[in-house]
Amino acid sequence: MILSLTVAVLVAGGVYLLLQRSMVRAVFGITLLSHAANFALLITGVPGWRAEPLTDVSPRGEMADPLPQAFVLTAIVITMAVTVFMLALAVIGRDDDLGAHPETGAARDVEGPDADGHAAAVDDIAGRTAAGPETEGRDA
Amino acid sequence: MSSFLDASLLPLFIAVPMLGSALLVLVRRRALEVALLLTVPILVGAGAVALMLAHRTEPVLAHAVGAFSDLIAIPFVSDPFTALMLLVTALSTLAASIFLVLTGESRYRFVPPLVLLLTAGVNGALLTGDLFNLFVWVEVMLMPSYALIALTGTWRRLGIGRLFVLVNLLTSTLLLIGVGFVYGTAGTVNLAALAGAGSEDPRTAAALAVVLLALAVKGGMVPVHSWLPRAYPATSAGIMALFSALHTKVALYAMYRIVAVTFSDGLPFMAVLAVLVLVTILVGAFSTAASSRVRTAMGHQMVAGVGHILLGLVLFSQVSLAAGILYLVHHVVTMSALLLTTGAVEHTYGLGRLEQLGGLARRDPWVMAVLALGLFSLVGLPPTSGLWGKIGLVRASAEQLLAEQPILGWAAILAILAASVGSLLGLQRLWRKMAWGSDLTTYRPDDPLTGRGPATPLPEGTRVPLRLLAPGGAMLAVSVAMFVGIGAVLPLTEAAAAGLLDVPAYVEAVSSA
Repeated sequence: MILSLTVAVLVAGGVYLLLQRSMVRAVFGITLLSHAANFALLITGVPGWRAEPLTDVSPRGEMADPLPQAFVLTAIVITMAVTVFMLALAVIGRDDDLGAHPETGAARDVEGPDADGHAAAVDDIAGRTAAGPETEGRDA
Repeated sequence: MSSFLDASLLPLFIAVPMLGSALLVLVRRRALEVALLLTVPILVGAGAVALMLAHRTEPVLAHAVGAFSDLIAIPFVSDPFTALMLLVTALSTLAASIFLVLTGESRYRFVPPLVLLLTAGVNGALLTGDLFNLFVWVEVMLMPSYALIALTGTWRRLGIGRLFVLVNLLTSTLLLIGVGFVYGTAGTVNLAALAGAGSEDPRTAAALAVVLLALAVKGGMVPVHSWLPRAYPATSAGIMALFSALHTKVALYAMYRIVAVTFSDGLPFMAVLAVLVLVTILVGAFSTAASSRVRTAMGHQMVAGVGHILLGLVLFSQVSLAAGILYLVHHVVTMSALLLTTGAVEHTYGLGRLEQLGGLARRDPWVMAVLALGLFSLVGLPPTSGLWGKIGLVRASAEQLLAEQPILGWAAILAILAASVGSLLGLQRLWRKMAWGSDLTTYRPDDPLTGRGPATPLPEGTRVPLRLLAPGGAMLAVSVAMFVGIGAVLPLTEAAAAGLLDVPAYVEAVSSA
């Protein structure tokens, strides 16, 4: 029951954070959600307190199911790798969901200018039409 | 067991690409990169052909890694469907790799090892016989994809990479939770041990529904499709061709496999899936007309294709599964051809937006001829594989008219026809904007240092190089060959569908592995 409630709280918090705009918050949201998933996996194998699944430590009848623990271990490793990648994304492009800088209107220059991509980004995301002459002129 | 191919060789499909990838990280030699990038898909394809030959005598090959017994080992299973998928994905990977080499994208740091790792993940996901391993392989497949999106493509890739990562990671978490539920309700995640479990226990059915939902997001089914036409066009054309052949198709393959094995009486919530699939077909087809970029249109066509492929699963008979598998093969080949051809145009002129393109029919007649045939194939016109794909699905739907689901049959036929008209409208708009209109006067040549450069006047005599057209043209030739030689392809898809439905043989092979 406590684990179920924990999963519920983690999912609620994770979804809330994931819906935020900032990438770092979204990363935290994903982290919470993956914790929730790990707990959900653990519940499937560990209904109550069980002993370590090691043959020379605990008797067979008291052992926990080792398989969900192996699942969780795998899932944790995968999540950690992706979290590192997402944090890197958060560092490279802080406001990378914008077509143009919010204050100056200048096109963003992350890794090589790409006027075509820029025009498309403004067009698609902000619902405006072509990026305007300043984008074209900036590269020239 | 056939003499020339032992089941214990199955892990090589994963090991070879993965070791190649590791080698390329350590040794950075341009020649070695190109060599491995091209030979590994060829090896995988050759292995798939060998598997197909082996499956003539031995329908299912299974290997339990580590030789654990009692269905707790890591199983690798191959049946005719798996072998067919391995062959098709290897073929399109090869075409995309050649394109990447020709455009010079393979020179980007880590692109060749990432592509090889992607291949390893795809092969693992296709071969695995275990739901948790499916999750792991899907992650192995997605990790290099995240990096590939960040490395190649247009300026939008960083923002889009973020969308792609978040959507896929959220879905993977959902998949993991679903797998956990399956384990909690059924006590196993081995597909062979789960045979029929969904029809026996409604709790397991609900748990499997979570897994299927996660796969539907990854596959790009309406209403959870919108990430696909947004994310894919932001990558480069070669990478998009790679993704379109691999990601969504692996998810669809897994859906086919899970439904066929675990639900012996058909899906209990098939009506919901049926409505969603029909809507997917229509939404994908009619969204095409509203695209402002060439590859966004292709993205919407991919969504429509997902609907067509899943229709084979919804109708759920041997005929319909065979039709769905045929459509899957056709769609991978056609999408690959179209993306690589439009990619050649985009790479040469640096223009991907429809309003900027024009007059290509006069400028590059050969490119446009290939493109036209590819569009024919998408709509379902001869002389391309699209005709047989759609005929197969309509035939499978018509079969339902006399069976127990006449309404579904009618709805499916109407949806396929309406979607063909919708695709025709959208794609002829794409064709008109690309082929006719005023000639190009400016283009954006690629700058090796800064990516796509500013618009500059187009020099006389600039054409799409024919060698850039070669990968797309070759894939289109495969599509045309499928039209002509359909008699040779149909037995393969029918064997795949029969193998998919022959669950006892699958279970037997995995248990005795």
